[in-house]
Amino acid sequence: MIYALEVTIKSLPFLLEGALRTLQITSLAVLLGLIIGTFVGMARLSKHKLLRYPATVYVEFLRGTPLLVQIFIIYFGLPAVGLNIPRYPSGIIALGINSGAYIAEIVRAGIQSIPKGQTEAAKSLGMTYWQTMRYIILPQAFRNILPALGNEFIALTKDSSLVSVIAIRELLRSGQIVISRTYQSFAVYIAVALIYFVMTFIMSRIVRWTEKKVTVS
Amino acid sequence: MNKFESEPILIIKDLWKSFGNLEVLKGINLEVYKAEVIVVIGPSGGGKSTLLRCINHLEKYDRGEIWFQGELVDEKSTDMNKLRTKIGMVFQQFNLFPHLKVIDNLTLAPKVVKKIDENSAREKAEKLLKRVGLVDKMNEYPTKLSGGQQQRVAIARALMMDPVLMLFDEPTSALDPELVGEVLEVMKSLAKEGMTMIVVTHEIGFAREVSDRVVFMDGGVIVEAGPPEQIFKQPQHPRTKEFLRKVL
Repeated sequence: MIYALEVTIKSLPFLLEGALRTLQITSLAVLLGLIIGTFVGMARLSKHKLLRYPATVYVEFLRGTPLLVQIFIIYFGLPAVGLNIPRYPSGIIALGINSGAYIAEIVRAGIQSIPKGQTEAAKSLGMTYWQTMRYIILPQAFRNILPALGNEFIALTKDSSLVSVIAIRELLRSGQIVISRTYQSFAVYIAVALIYFVMTFIMSRIVRWTEKKVTVS
Repeated sequence: MNKFESEPILIIKDLWKSFGNLEVLKGINLEVYKAEVIVVIGPSGGGKSTLLRCINHLEKYDRGEIWFQGELVDEKSTDMNKLRTKIGMVFQQFNLFPHLKVIDNLTLAPKVVKKIDENSAREKAEKLLKRVGLVDKMNEYPTKLSGGQQQRVAIARALMMDPVLMLFDEPTSALDPELVGEVLEVMKSLAKEGMTMIVVTHEIGFAREVSDRVVFMDGGVIVEAGPPEQIFKQPQHPRTKEFLRKVL
């Protein structure tokens, strides 16, 4: 028991390094997801079928298939058709594409939450669709969806543990490495879980705080 | 009509529009001359707002033609965004941009649409805010203003684009009674300066005092139109008479 604790404490710096990687991967994935999600979310609301249908397929497919399978397709599947993406980018792309689908739905709801009068006022001043989106709709929409985006970040922090299967040394993978050396699976997995929890707990406090700010203004 | 010699700046020919099965406009004909102030009155659901919204193409019409300064209001043949810069619109619900300060509400469109530089846009905005009596509010956010102040900002915002024609869609209907006057004052001064205006309103006093022509709409048609003294004192059509009896 004492030994298990000792081992865990000793391996803490190594685990925290993994946690940092987890945050890194998650941040980049959310950034990618945000870019994808913004455009796909807008496309979902387009009056042009050529934009709307592919966007719908994207969202439905990515949400309707396991993230683990998506990771495998990108890291193990694509090389078979001649597209080799290194480990880390693979993980980030898989997570980003996946969260893009969820963020698209958040963005769509955010855009729909802005009263129609805003678009009409912008149009009546001669603004184009893109100008209206860029200056009027999206700034207001993003303010409203900030809490939802925060929750997506939290969900993705946990989901990012899946990329451990392609040997990306994030938090879970770091824990597994420690266990393979020390055989203290219980203590180390508990430590890993706690580190995840501390991260998501802090994030959810931040989300709660932004939620309050958004509703006040 | 001798006050207005030249060509009309707006010509509406046999305009039809329906929402699903509901026919809202059934063959509207109207010509508007430069510096003319037209007030459109009539019961709700009569098609007044829809007519206004067709003019700057916020609403697509089904049949007929709208010509504005020799250009057909139709997205196939005309750049609607460009055309809309010449037609200002004031909404019942103000529709100010809540995430922007008053001054930025005014300067945004000139900057991004007309590529006017920041300084000249600000200068112009301050001038217009002074005009509507709100220059001291320029760094406030719209939600901090009263309804009447918001609507005056909205008018100033529309004027920033130097419109040739101003459309007012029930500009005082959402206001508390004590705030109606300040908005009407701004509109009156605009009219006096020769702005061409089409105003949908229930303010009969404004119509009587300011308008050159009153248009009475009901059931998707223009029932009667003429100078205010004629419409209000000797309405010809029974529907006009009935409506006026209710509102006067």
